[in-house]
Amino acid sequence: MSAPETIMDELLATKAEARDLSFYYGDFRALKGISMPVHERKVTALIGPSGCGKSTFLRCFNRMHDLYPGNRYEGEIVLQPDNTNLLAGSIDPIDVRMRIGMVFQKPNPFPKTVFENVAYGLRVRGERSRRKIEEKVEQALQDAALWDEVKERLRQPAYNLSGGQQQRLCIARALATDPELLLFDEPTSALDPIATASIEELMHDLKERVTILIVTHNMQQAARVSDFTAYMYLGELVEFGVTDELFIKPQKKQTEDYITGRFG
Amino acid sequence: MASEHASKQYDLDLGSIRTRVLQMGGLVESQIRRAMDGLASGDLALLEEVIADDHRVNAMEVALDGDCSHLIVRRQPAASDLRMIFAIAKTVTDLERIGDEAQKMARMAKAIHERGATPLPPAVDVRHAAEAAIAMLRRSLDAFARLDCDTAQEVIRDDVGIDAEFRSILRQLITYMMEDPRTISTALEIVWIAKAIERIGDHAKNMAEYVIYIVRGTDVRHTRKE
Amino acid sequence: MHRKHQDVVFMLVGIVALMVAVLTFLTLFVNMAVDGLPRLDWQFFTNFPSRRAAQAGILSAWVGSTLVMLVTAFFAVPLGVASGVYLEEYARKNWVTDLIEINITNLAGVPSIVYGLLALGLFVYQFGLGQSILSAGLTLALLILPVVIVATREAIRSIPQVIREGSYALGATRWQTVRYHILPYSSAGILTGIIIGMARAIGETAPIITIGALTFIAFLPPAPIKSEPPFLSFDWLMSPFTVMPIQMFNWTSRPEAAFQDNAAAAGFVLVFMTLAMNGLAIWLRYRLRRNIKW
Repeated sequence: MSAPETIMDELLATKAEARDLSFYYGDFRALKGISMPVHERKVTALIGPSGCGKSTFLRCFNRMHDLYPGNRYEGEIVLQPDNTNLLAGSIDPIDVRMRIGMVFQKPNPFPKTVFENVAYGLRVRGERSRRKIEEKVEQALQDAALWDEVKERLRQPAYNLSGGQQQRLCIARALATDPELLLFDEPTSALDPIATASIEELMHDLKERVTILIVTHNMQQAARVSDFTAYMYLGELVEFGVTDELFIKPQKKQTEDYITGRFG
Repeated sequence: MASEHASKQYDLDLGSIRTRVLQMGGLVESQIRRAMDGLASGDLALLEEVIADDHRVNAMEVALDGDCSHLIVRRQPAASDLRMIFAIAKTVTDLERIGDEAQKMARMAKAIHERGATPLPPAVDVRHAAEAAIAMLRRSLDAFARLDCDTAQEVIRDDVGIDAEFRSILRQLITYMMEDPRTISTALEIVWIAKAIERIGDHAKNMAEYVIYIVRGTDVRHTRKE
Repeated sequence: MHRKHQDVVFMLVGIVALMVAVLTFLTLFVNMAVDGLPRLDWQFFTNFPSRRAAQAGILSAWVGSTLVMLVTAFFAVPLGVASGVYLEEYARKNWVTDLIEINITNLAGVPSIVYGLLALGLFVYQFGLGQSILSAGLTLALLILPVVIVATREAIRSIPQVIREGSYALGATRWQTVRYHILPYSSAGILTGIIIGMARAIGETAPIITIGALTFIAFLPPAPIKSEPPFLSFDWLMSPFTVMPIQMFNWTSRPEAAFQDNAAAAGFVLVFMTLAMNGLAIWLRYRLRRNIKW
């Protein structure tokens, strides 16, 4: 069988790695000692039933939990190539978020123009050169396969776009700042099948340039878009492996039961 | 594969498909047996029956392939379910081919007996080979029903024996033909019958390999067995 | 059929209740208009009060009201908005902030005369600001501060959390998020709250009387622009003054019927100003919320 052997033959670099990561909402231990690699320029999918902790795990990567009181991290998430532990107390969450982008479940464009949406990340970083901003905005919209559809409408409100376009706008917004790692939190669960397909196609193109970590509750989507899949249950990492292998011949019975619909 | 799907209908659909695969297997097995009985006894009506039964076998193949497609569309099976459906689709093909071979055997037997007076060459080895092939078929169906890798492994090994028997039958018949040229037509028909038996053995071996794929997820086709 | 009857009965009760409220107001308003409209002319707006009813005008009153409103807005808006933003975006949510929230909401219900007493003691005497426009403005600012704070908080709370998360996820600091998102999107609600507060303040009488607004002012406070350097003067802040409600009060306590008409005319102007401010609030809300979809 060709695909799995090929991917394992490739030289895989690790972009990020969770090392014995645990997470607490107050006293409740939501993540239990997760260790997992995220390979560079590959798509890694997180699947599992509701409440298994996959979104919680995702949000550790860009320190989103820091926005709310009472949360605590244990363990490390190490980002390469500089071997930085993103969860260290000495690291400012703002710096982490400068390097790691996020796309949310429901498209959340700002109530501003299309242009302002994409340019926001650049403004926040203090970019003042108008020309530079325009260049980067166009580049980001091209990368998100949205440029042709919006180039005449850059100064119109973002809310005028369709759902699928809005989500691609959010992707462009995240891309404008050249993130090293892109986090997708169920990006297509609010979209129709055609919009979903266009986003999946986009992910396929994006992974040439940026590492992607995606949470999805749709197993078929994980099978379609990802190179590696991690199955989580009740805060633990049950199995991690090459996607094709995990879906054809999972190692653990728990994984097998989940993906074949045996929840009994 | 012991526990049940969250969807009862899924379990029922899958169960129904598996049952009908076994029924198809039973039908082609009886075809082989009746073809051999017809060869021995000269019962032309019986042989006609076997030839006609090919329609039923083909109909079952079409129906089962259709049901497999429906299941794939509806359930997007993964892991063991995926391997099961995949294996079933291929098993059905092999069973249909076995039915074709049985039909050929019946045709050859009918031709022999319609020709009439020429005494049959001693056919005892063919009978033995046929029994061995029927046993392989039955055991691979059994391995499929119980998802039993050990039985499947045995079936795979036994194919070697059938191949050896075929070669021995061939040698005997060549000798016979050289001794008495009047028996060449009949002898050749017996060779085709023996060849059909040998092919039946190969198909049964394929079915056993699929069982191992279902259970272990490893594809053991075209590899040497210890 | 019984259920349908209940429906009809309740609908009728509702309509009657509504009519009572509306008709009461309409009656008062129409009454006031009938008495007061004939008095409304250019002189009415440009004359000082006078012992002769026909020559009395509201010049000092409406100028006084305007200046007091300016001072009120100057203090209430930044303090109220900043407090609201701080409480919603910066402060940690614990029992202390809950307590503060309850207290602020309660402050909105404190009788206005209590504010007047507080202002008298604090601004007029303690700080020595005297019975001036500055004192009045500060008093009213305190009065409407809860309104502004609550309106700010409500407007900010209506912003969906995903918008904030979207901003933070791009590496923004808290101030950047407030400046580029929170404030712009809540501006409609904040402005509405400010205008509602001001509309209330313009009609407040008790606290103004308490701190000593005079009732017969036949002069205007000193002009803010002067012809000599430094060209800008703040003397008007410390000047004695009157406001519209007080002028009305003064006129209604005179026996002559003509002064009642004057009061009605002033009342009409006051109601008109209030309605105009509310109208402005509604229009602004519509304009600013056009792009907001929550």
